[in-house]
Amino acid sequence: MYIRKLLLTSILLSLAVFAFAQPANNAVISGYLKDASGSPIPGASVKLHHTSANAISTTDGFFSIRNVRPGKHVVTVSAVGFKTKEQSFEVKAGEEKLLHITIEQSISEINTVSVIGRSASQEVNRQAYNVTAIDAKKLYNATLDLSHALDRVSGIRVREDGGLGSRMNFSLNGFTGRQVKFFLDGVPMDNFGSSFQLNNVPINLAERVEVYKGVVPIWLGSDALGGAINIVTSNNQHSYLDASYSFGSFNTHRSTLNAGYTAKSGFTVQVNAFQNYSDNNYRVRVNVADLKTGEYYPHQWVRRFHDTYHNETIIANVVVVGKKYADKLLFGITLGQNYAEIQTGARMVSVFGNWHRRGDIVMPSVKYQVKDLFVKGLNFSLTGNYNFGHEQNIDTVNRRYNWFQQYEPNNGAERERSMYKFSNNNGISTANLSYKINDHHSFVLNDVYNTFNRKGKDELFPVDEKYDQPKKVSKNILGLGYKFDYSDKWNTSVFVKNYAQRNRFSQSYNPSGNWGDVAYRALETTFNKLGYGIATTYFIIPALQLKTSYEKSYRLPETEELFGDMINLEGNTDLKPETSNNFNFGVNYQAHIREDHRFSFDANFLYRDAKDFIRPMLNPNQTKQTNGNLAAVTNMGVDGEVRYSFRQLFTAGVNLTYQNLRNNTAFEDGQKNRSPLYRDRIPNMPYLFGNADASLFFKNVFRKGNNLTLGYNFLYVHAYYLSWPGQAEEKLEIPRQFCQDVNLVYSLSNGRYNVSVECKNLVDNRLYDNFTLQKPGRAFYAKLRYFISK
Amino acid sequence: MRKISKLLFLVCSMALLGISCDKEDMPDETFTEGEFQGLSKYVITVTPIGTTGIADILLTADRLDQGTISTAGNGKEQDGSYRYYITHKGRFLSLLYGQGNPGAVTTYRFSPAGKLVKSSEFQTETVQVFTRVNDELLLIKVPRSGANETAGMYRIDALKSRIAGRDSINIVKLAANGERAHFTWATQVGNKVFAPYMSIKGCCNDAFGTAYPDSTWVAVFSYPELDLEKVIRDNRTSYLGNYFSNGLSVSENGDAYGFSSAAATNSGVVTTTRPSAIVKIPNGTTEFDKSYFFNVQEASGGHHISTHTYLGDNVFLLMMYETPGAVKGNLKMALANVNTKTFTWITGGPAEITSTSAAYNNNTLSEDGKTGFIGLNTTTGSWIYKIDIATAKASLGLTVEGGKITAITKVEY
Repeated sequence: MYIRKLLLTSILLSLAVFAFAQPANNAVISGYLKDASGSPIPGASVKLHHTSANAISTTDGFFSIRNVRPGKHVVTVSAVGFKTKEQSFEVKAGEEKLLHITIEQSISEINTVSVIGRSASQEVNRQAYNVTAIDAKKLYNATLDLSHALDRVSGIRVREDGGLGSRMNFSLNGFTGRQVKFFLDGVPMDNFGSSFQLNNVPINLAERVEVYKGVVPIWLGSDALGGAINIVTSNNQHSYLDASYSFGSFNTHRSTLNAGYTAKSGFTVQVNAFQNYSDNNYRVRVNVADLKTGEYYPHQWVRRFHDTYHNETIIANVVVVGKKYADKLLFGITLGQNYAEIQTGARMVSVFGNWHRRGDIVMPSVKYQVKDLFVKGLNFSLTGNYNFGHEQNIDTVNRRYNWFQQYEPNNGAERERSMYKFSNNNGISTANLSYKINDHHSFVLNDVYNTFNRKGKDELFPVDEKYDQPKKVSKNILGLGYKFDYSDKWNTSVFVKNYAQRNRFSQSYNPSGNWGDVAYRALETTFNKLGYGIATTYFIIPALQLKTSYEKSYRLPETEELFGDMINLEGNTDLKPETSNNFNFGVNYQAHIREDHRFSFDANFLYRDAKDFIRPMLNPNQTKQTNGNLAAVTNMGVDGEVRYSFRQLFTAGVNLTYQNLRNNTAFEDGQKNRSPLYRDRIPNMPYLFGNADASLFFKNVFRKGNNLTLGYNFLYVHAYYLSWPGQAEEKLEIPRQFCQDVNLVYSLSNGRYNVSVECKNLVDNRLYDNFTLQKPGRAFYAKLRYFISK
Repeated sequence: MRKISKLLFLVCSMALLGISCDKEDMPDETFTEGEFQGLSKYVITVTPIGTTGIADILLTADRLDQGTISTAGNGKEQDGSYRYYITHKGRFLSLLYGQGNPGAVTTYRFSPAGKLVKSSEFQTETVQVFTRVNDELLLIKVPRSGANETAGMYRIDALKSRIAGRDSINIVKLAANGERAHFTWATQVGNKVFAPYMSIKGCCNDAFGTAYPDSTWVAVFSYPELDLEKVIRDNRTSYLGNYFSNGLSVSENGDAYGFSSAAATNSGVVTTTRPSAIVKIPNGTTEFDKSYFFNVQEASGGHHISTHTYLGDNVFLLMMYETPGAVKGNLKMALANVNTKTFTWITGGPAEITSTSAAYNNNTLSEDGKTGFIGLNTTTGSWIYKIDIATAKASLGLTVEGGKITAITKVEY
């Protein structure tokens, strides 16, 4: 701890020395870029004539240029979709000049489709990292949650057990589950619990979603092995109201309300509330067991009958800006709950009729930002949150069900009698210190600290409580990064990360051997690892970008892997961190034929060499799952996307991902012969999949200002084997999936009122992500949305 | 506008192209009922090395005494994670094990052409005990902890692959010592079922621990009524069998022999003071023969019994723990003649035997009764060994490539 403080202080001091070394008599210009309606313009280029000085505006439209020689100057502001503007000004020595510039949209390119317009999302795409950003705003009229929006990104495959709210498995370039980290506005989502997850948060909460494949930038701290997803919520400083309600098949109802009010002083109140409800009673084709004889009635169509899911969440934030003590100070609270009925086990032969779980979240949070702390260009931010929420597993009904909803007594519970309720009491704080010395050199220091202290009890087994000792984890990830911006054309980042974790727990034992006699052994494990990486990008011409990155990354064992989930997962406190060498190379090219036809091409190559994979296995008496450091895996993959747009009438795109995940474990534990599975393809993992989409836009339909959009989305997943491809002759497989969704959006009064209808799984294909677990068939949804902004 | 309609047409045709013939569930391989041809084949079940949560691959072979067989591109995959097998009446039943889930059972038979095919599927419960009784199978589900104190017993019609009847027993009342009676296995003896059990605490993070390590119990049930008739007790050795492991077999003359590993623990420490031994229940009685005691631990020089398989003519194949005094770790083969109380180490086997094919379902004794077979797994490979009973010599039989042998069994067709 002391060493860390010392390190921090010395870095701060050295940064300060750098800062004071700058010539003191030069001026600084800064300001905001806005369009005619007052909205900020991100990603615009600001250039100072006759110098090399330039800047790119941030998402708020802010720009600043340092070291401006005193005297007269001219700046040129240019942004795609806007007319280029020149403005002259004069500065004195040491002056900090404010320049607020308004630029006009170029009429010919108003509402340019995504291929051309460099939205905030595409600005993110221009980083050196292998990153894809989804502009969530374009999906606000769809009935998507975040996970389905992500499913359309190359390299990502979201696998679901069933309908709304069902268990999902996220895979990014072959890394799955906890190997991929999720962030909300840069803060790790590790401690959000079941009430706030990708599969229950509507897309409308986000402004954009950034997908970092492989190498994760330093300012997103934490220990991601194979990439990170950062959900960026609206940072809108306007007053607005965005309300929507959708309903559809399987008695599904969802609503969202996002509202914000900003006073002249900058004081802002934001409220995001959302709700999902579904019976998920879609039809499935199953063999139904006779309760008496155990024989099956083959191939029956039945409706799911115990799969209701609902969740309700509200997030409220109060923000003050521009104070002496803080540029931004936010206090927030997230309150939410969820309820999920459990219809089946890992196979559809296990049917349940009463087993369910619930969870809640009570999470206060704080964010603090200060710019130009002590010196210009030194920015500091601090965030913190703590989850007081609970999770509970309830299985108390003495029944065995079949698909005809018949039941018989079953040894006291459906699966394992439980009312276990626990709280993980986990908190996260992040601190970020960045210093931009000048246009060429900048540093970032980032620290993420997690705490965890699980406590739980089961009212059904009060005697067992005394065996349930607290389990504590503290984890700290410290990162230091340096970015060198040589020019507009080339920039490079390097970073190092220290991963540290301490797990403290006690194991109960039975010293005398008499029933009920308990004693505890205190145990502790610690990890300390060093990771590092580099990312660089070069623009051959402005429309052609190359990027490459490398990282040696670690992921520390998660609390659930160490201590179990108290239901079906048994902890393994002997787990070691997993590690991977991630390499990426990417190309992006933009082209057009006249102004009408526009194209963009993205291609990425990646290589992963991962060791000590934390993989699920069965515990010694085969009753629960546990995790072990088992496999070594390599992945050589490519993914690519081509998009096309024609004027403002039509856009279409296609992406495809191929990943060649191979088992790299030559010798299995306890074996002296080379494993027969060495270099075989990793089973039960999609390896070829893609999406295609097309949209047609009709302007001024029926009335001026009313627009109609027709959209189509196609998903393809190649068939894959449940088990090792090289083994056995008669094999089980997850069949090829084709899924088509169509939607129609009608927006009135320039987007104030929106009505959309959607059909998912248009031709009613039977879809599976996991072996035998059928997903919903054809479904219809309608959505009404009202949006007003000032 | 014409362009737009073209595009619309394009979109629609894309949608239509996407219509695919939705594959109906794969039809089960049809098994047609026919006369037994008096033939037999072997089923060898293999867990691929390095896999977890993946069920065994089923391989078939005409002989066990020579050759090589591999799981690479060969054999039949099964669904689920762990499976156990029992062979009866020309049926090879594969039982899915999964805590609390309904136990799916898949029945396989050999088609007249000698191909292993799925003949039926049904479901029971996840069980820890399964044994042949007359034309039926008896399955017992034993709860090891929690509030449930009832063991479920299921009679399966082996020919029709369906549940024929069920019953249950309170295992806390059966133990009558404050602990639980946990059936290790069950064996048909005469017209009754003998089910040895271990006493376990079933709680306290030490479910399989016990305060009663020096006793032997066998519950006697009538069949098919499954009424508890009595409990046979002894205190010269520990409990018979082990979790998921048979501890009682019947010789040709109807005497039943019980095998104890003497491995009862408390808080993970072996607390049995009695030796690993063989005891006897004479034909027609329901009492231990107090005059019979075969102290195998003494005869072997301090080794404990792991499992046993009856080879015939009073000779049992014993898997012994390699290290004297140990009740886990590597294994060593031996023969025991229960009549003469002679113990002989088998020579010629591989070193470092880590596990073997299931002892409770090995019916692969040669026609002439002179040669027994066993699947042996080591750190350097897996093989089926043939054991010459007269000379206690083992020699290499079928080499199995690709994984660990979990069962070898002969299936008639």
